[in-house]
Amino acid sequence: MGREVSFSDGETVRVLDLDKSGHVRAPRYVRGKTGTVSHLLGKFKNPEDLAYGKYDGPEKELYRVAFRQSDLWQGYEGNLDDTLVIDIYEHWLEGA
Amino acid sequence: MSGPHDLGGAKDFSGPIDKSQHEVEDWERLTDAITTALDGKGIKTTDEHRRAVESLENYAELGYYERWAAATEKLLVEKGILTKEEIDERAAEIKREWGEK
Amino acid sequence: MSENGHDHPHPGTGRTATPSTLRVRAMEKLLVEKGVLTEAEIQDRISYMDSRSPANGAKLVAKAWTDEAFKNRLLEDTKSATFELGMDASGPVEFIVVENTPEVHNLIVCTLCSCYPRAILGRPPDWYKSFEYRSRAVKEPRAVMREFGYEPPENVEVRVHDSTADIRYMVLPMRPEGTRGMGEEGLAELVSRDSLVGVSVPEAPSHFNA
Repeated sequence: MGREVSFSDGETVRVLDLDKSGHVRAPRYVRGKTGTVSHLLGKFKNPEDLAYGKYDGPEKELYRVAFRQSDLWQGYEGNLDDTLVIDIYEHWLEGA
Repeated sequence: MSGPHDLGGAKDFSGPIDKSQHEVEDWERLTDAITTALDGKGIKTTDEHRRAVESLENYAELGYYERWAAATEKLLVEKGILTKEEIDERAAEIKREWGEK
Repeated sequence: MSENGHDHPHPGTGRTATPSTLRVRAMEKLLVEKGVLTEAEIQDRISYMDSRSPANGAKLVAKAWTDEAFKNRLLEDTKSATFELGMDASGPVEFIVVENTPEVHNLIVCTLCSCYPRAILGRPPDWYKSFEYRSRAVKEPRAVMREFGYEPPENVEVRVHDSTADIRYMVLPMRPEGTRGMGEEGLAELVSRDSLVGVSVPEAPSHFNA
């Protein structure tokens, strides 16, 4: 995951479905889904390093990404404008 | 890959939400305190705790603080701070003491 | 905040010998003997958590309802706003307060574990940690809220926040109609823990007609 990525507010992004074992913080239900960056949260240590006692790994940009609920769930019951917002680290995102 | 903790939208848990609340027990307070005190001292991180929790084989059978207790034990053993044997031994000793009351 | 943690029964009373309780006591004793933790450090953590409660969140909300400038500070810099009201929410995690409006209703969940603004509200309620809440709040938030007795209007956007990282979320509910003239203390009493998570909303007391 050496690549540098950065996204801006309002940019369309897709959550990667990385085949990564062990501790990750990108839940299954958003993987492969397309949403919009709604907030830049800044740089944080990578939980995938911290979880294994590696405290000196590079920091990662953390983004709030908003999805339309109807894009996440088939037959979603509710308003078409209902959204879900989730915090995702940069290496789990690609431009879409 | 995802584990038993990755519950968003999980079909197995589509039933009604139990809204009853149990009184927090002292051992749960203690578990919470030991876990966060170890984090506070930099002995382990929240992320290690989460990793240990989600790798518990019996994740779904355990209660919330039972998972915390098991994860904290796992990390203390992993880091060589305590051994499983000494915890076994001490736990047996405490059980005997309590039984005698 | 209580000073030394002796305001509650000492751990050891009311005990049941389950494997977890025994092993936790064993770890406590061993960690103290080996000098990894002190008894005082453990007691401090217990007091710290015992001193956190939804009342803190209710105070913040009531203040925000009556003081626009404070509301803006709460939304922009939650930690320093909590300090203003004498709460210490310092620590490694960040906070974001999300505001309910006539257009948007917010709901908080943590699907991967049970992240919760503990430094403000204390330990999360059991239902928040339940597998059912963690599974369903993201997928069918409206059905979940119905179970808690709240049904947001059809035309309101329901916005679910899944806290997966180092940020903890809390809802700033809307001030209910018919509470004009009420003071901060009275308003705070209307703010339930559930409304700070977003599964319900505060309601005006039925006897109050301002």
